[in-house]
Formats: sequence, C-alpha cells, structure tokens
Amino acid sequence: MTFFVLRNSTVESLFDSKNTAYSGYGDISTIDQTADIIIWFYMLPLKSNTLSLVLETEAYFNQIQWVNQQVPSHKWFLIFTLQNLYSVSYQTTDFSVELAINRFNANVIEFASKHNNVKVIPFSDFIKKYDREQWIDWKYYFLSKMQLNPRLAKAFGSWFSLQLEQIQLKRKKCLILDLDNTLWGGILGEDGVNGIQIGGDYPGNAFLMFQEYLLELSKAGIILTLCSKNNEQDVLEVWEKNPYLILLKEHFAAYRLNWNNKADNIKELADELNIGLNSMVFVDDNPTERELVKQLLPMVEVPDFPLQPYQLPLFATSLTDRYFKVYTLTTEDKEKTIQYKANASRLEAQKQFVSFEAYLTSLEMELTIEPANVFNVVRIAQMTQKTNQFNLTTKRYTDIEIQALIESGAKIYCLSVKDRFGDSGITGCIIIKRGVNNHDMSIDSFLLSCRILGKGIEVAFITKIMDILRSEGVERLSACFIPTQKNTQVADFYDKMGFSQIREIKESKGEKNYSINIVRKTVEIAPYYKITVS
Amino acid sequence: MMKDEIVEVLKRTFELDKIDETISQKNCTQWDSLHHLNMIVELESVFDVTFEPEEIAEMKSFTAIEKMLAQKLS
Repeated sequence: MTFFVLRNSTVESLFDSKNTAYSGYGDISTIDQTADIIIWFYMLPLKSNTLSLVLETEAYFNQIQWVNQQVPSHKWFLIFTLQNLYSVSYQTTDFSVELAINRFNANVIEFASKHNNVKVIPFSDFIKKYDREQWIDWKYYFLSKMQLNPRLAKAFGSWFSLQLEQIQLKRKKCLILDLDNTLWGGILGEDGVNGIQIGGDYPGNAFLMFQEYLLELSKAGIILTLCSKNNEQDVLEVWEKNPYLILLKEHFAAYRLNWNNKADNIKELADELNIGLNSMVFVDDNPTERELVKQLLPMVEVPDFPLQPYQLPLFATSLTDRYFKVYTLTTEDKEKTIQYKANASRLEAQKQFVSFEAYLTSLEMELTIEPANVFNVVRIAQMTQKTNQFNLTTKRYTDIEIQALIESGAKIYCLSVKDRFGDSGITGCIIIKRGVNNHDMSIDSFLLSCRILGKGIEVAFITKIMDILRSEGVERLSACFIPTQKNTQVADFYDKMGFSQIREIKESKGEKNYSINIVRKTVEIAPYYKITVS
Repeated sequence: MMKDEIVEVLKRTFELDKIDETISQKNCTQWDSLHHLNMIVELESVFDVTFEPEEIAEMKSFTAIEKMLAQKLS
C-alpha cells in the first residue's frame, strides 16, 4: 500500500518511509495519482498572528475540495482533523482560532459523509493522549519544521495503522473469554455460585462493568465465546441462579467448558463458528494460558490482562481500540437511535401528561417483593450500609447479621423495581422483627435507594408489606423514626402512612415511635403499580 | 560498549545491515538531513542526553558522535 501525503510541515518521520511520497510544503498543485491512498495532513502553522491563522484555516477546506476532485473516486482520501498544537492568546476571550479549527473539522466530517472515498482521521484523538508540553519539541521544530514531537513518531505509527485497519474493516470478529477472575472475581469451583464476586462492592462492581462492556460489544456484532476450565454443570447453575450476572448463556455463540488444552478448544470453536483463527481475540487472566495460546496459535490475538480488577475499564477501551473499532457501525447506530427515541419519548411523556398519576401509569412500573434469601442477603446488607436518605432508622447490618436476624424469626423482604425504561434491580428493603407475641411486630429498618424515589413506590411497597403481614395474622405493627443528618425527608413518613405517634420517650434525640392497627386500617394500592410477591 | 550502541542506532536509523566507524554524512547516501534528526532523536533516547542545535550540527560522523557523547556522559 502506497501513500501520498499532502502536508505543510515536516511529517516524514511519521509515515512508513518506503511507501510514502510527499507533496511540497503547502503545495496542492500535483497529486501522485499512482498512490493507493491520498492523505491530507496539515498542521496549523506555529505562529502568533491570530487573524492570519483564521484565514489560513479557512483556506484549507477549499483546497481539500479541490484536491478531492483530482483524487480518483475509487481511491481513499484520508483527511486528518486539525489540532492546534500551540497557541498564544492575548485575550482569554479570543476564541477565533479555536472556532476556525472547529469549523474546519465540522466541514471535513460533513464532507466525508457525502463522499464515500473520503474518511476522517481524528488526529486530536491521538494527540490528546499526551500532555500538551509533549506535543512539540521546539528544538526539532526550529531545526527541521517538524511540528509533532519526533518522540511521538513510533506511537503515531501504530495509532495510524490502527486507523487504517478500522477504515478497511479489518476488525476482529470473535472474543474468546475465560470465566474465573476474568468475567467475575474468584473461582466458581471453589467459591460457589454465590461466592463469586460480581456486582455489589469492589471488585464485583469492576467485573460487572466489564460484563456490561462486553454485552455492548456483542450488540455491536462481536461474537462472544467462552473457553474456561470449569465444570459445565457449575457454569449452567451460576447462569441460572446468580442474579447479578449480565452475560448469560444466550450471549455466547459457543463455549468450551472443560479441562482440555485451551489451544485445542479454541481451534474447535473456530471450526464450529466457521471463522478464521486470525479473527479471534483471547482474553484470559492466567498468563500461562495466554502464553500457551500465543505459542500454539500465533494467529490468535492475545492481549495482556490487567493485574487489578479496577484496571478493567481501561482494558476495555484498549480492547476496543485495538481489535473491535470500526469506522462506522451501522447496528450500533441503529441501537443508538432507539435509545435516543426512548429518551425523547420519556421526556415527551412527562410533558404531555396532565396529572402525575397519568405519568406514573405510563411508566408501567413492576415491583417485585421477595423474602431475603442467599442471593440477595449481601445486597440487603449492602443497602443498609449505604442508604442514607430514605432510611427510617439507619441501622447498619452485615450479611451475617442479616442471616442471624432471619434465624431469630425476623421477616426481611427486598424490593426490585422495573419500569419501561429499565430495570433498577434490588433497591429497597424492610426488616420486621417479631414482638411480644405473634400478632405484634415492629419495623426495624425500612429503606429505599434514592434512584427509585419520586414515584410513590415507598407507599406501595409498605402497603403491600402490611397486606402480607395481615394475611399472616399480624394485627399490630410498631415503627420508629430515628433522625440523622441525611434522612429528614422521611421524618413524617409514618404519619403520612396513617401510623399514630406514641408519646416520645427519648425526646432529646428526636426519635419518634409509632404504632398502627393493620387490621382496622387498610389502604388501597394505586392500580399503576404491578406488584408481584415471590 | 558505547561504540556498539552507537553502531546499533546508526544501523537502525539508516536501515543498514553493516556499518563501521568510518561512516559519516559524506560517505553514506541515506544520511540526509531528515535521517540525521531521526538519528539524534534515537541517540537522545538511548543515552538519555539532550543535544543542543550547535552540537547536532557537528555530529555528522561516527567519530564526531562518539566524541560528543563521551563529553556528555563524562
């Protein structure tokens, strides 16, 4: 592949010397028609005269249009966006050069959308990876008119070849993933279905984010597969039973869950999916497995895996940049359009409804109430630790303490909320302790995560809980509000719910004690909450 | 030691398989002004030194490079 670079500064050290020819500085009079790819790579001249910079920038776009007429339409014309490497502004309010650059870049992007052979190379993406002080080495600039620091030349070379691959759609097709310590923390075989770290606190939250990223990747058309040394039965069970996993059986096109050599497994996967080994990327936290695959299957890409889970977001970015980025992504674009439409309609929904009830109805809320169990007990404990605003007593519990409460006869329920815009997961819980007899119980804790507030969910939730308790023979329910600096919004919650306040005993602390006869007092739940008790 | 490293840098820069200590800008066709600067960039990073423009202008042969580096590193 040969290049012809139209330039206005010294860029020779940036491109492959054997296959690249250059125009004169700022010379568009002749274009090498034999080159495979024509490149426009202009730098803003390094001078301080703002007006002349603006005029110069404005001239570039006209020149580009003229150049494109000389470029055969079956050949690529790549245009680098313009990036100001150096600026001296005498007034902080003078943005004329920045604006001219933005205009140029916008023009180029629009121009590329109208001409199939024209592609934009986002030079600013490259340069912004470095500190401003590194952009120019003034010594080399004055010696050779080289604007970009020659120390960045190697990095530029690899970045530019990635850009070329993206344009040529040379992206990889398939990701082969390991499970333990790759898609979740811990080892399934040892830690068990609910012992693995996914969701919740660190490091589970980092793995969760990685899974979310992989799900998006699969929506963008990348095939996900698994190759893991695990018992298939264990993995099937975790898919079925662990509620925090995002990537489930249906997201994987094929998998090998066995104790065979991973290189053999990968070959089988390639055959099964009918794709080449050179379009596969293998991701595994174990350096020994990576080395094995590198040696036995050199055509498979094997990136290093981050040592710490908190590095996974950066790893995700580099995976995308190196293997999975494309110049345009039609499926993703479509997906985006749908999202934009959803957001737009949500806004519209708020606008067009006259009453709040009508708005709540339109949300199609689904509340699920389930008793504490081995899968949600950690999440329940976590909510008691973290929830501050909608929390009536702010009592903090560990998962072990929650277990102990259950064993002592307390009733603990948690709430999951879904509406037509998405699933918020487990976002509320209530802990009710047994009183002096079976007809008497008291609310020990009642809390909701702030992201589901503002929809009357708290009222529906506690009303349904009272219905459940009533059906189990409970007659009297007592409750307590303990003020903190953050929970003032719920100070009158029980009053609003029809509880009667018992004379304050500990006046100094502002605690309020309540009681309600739930047999006598019944409340209807508004029809727009669809409630399931599981 | 230093000599070997200089040889390696020059071989890389000028894309030559073999060079000897008599090499200079006069007897090497690849040694143009652009390659000269690439070579300086390499030398600066390999030996962790910086050269002033006046020094860069002098370093146009293996012997000159060696002399300059010896000065810098002493």
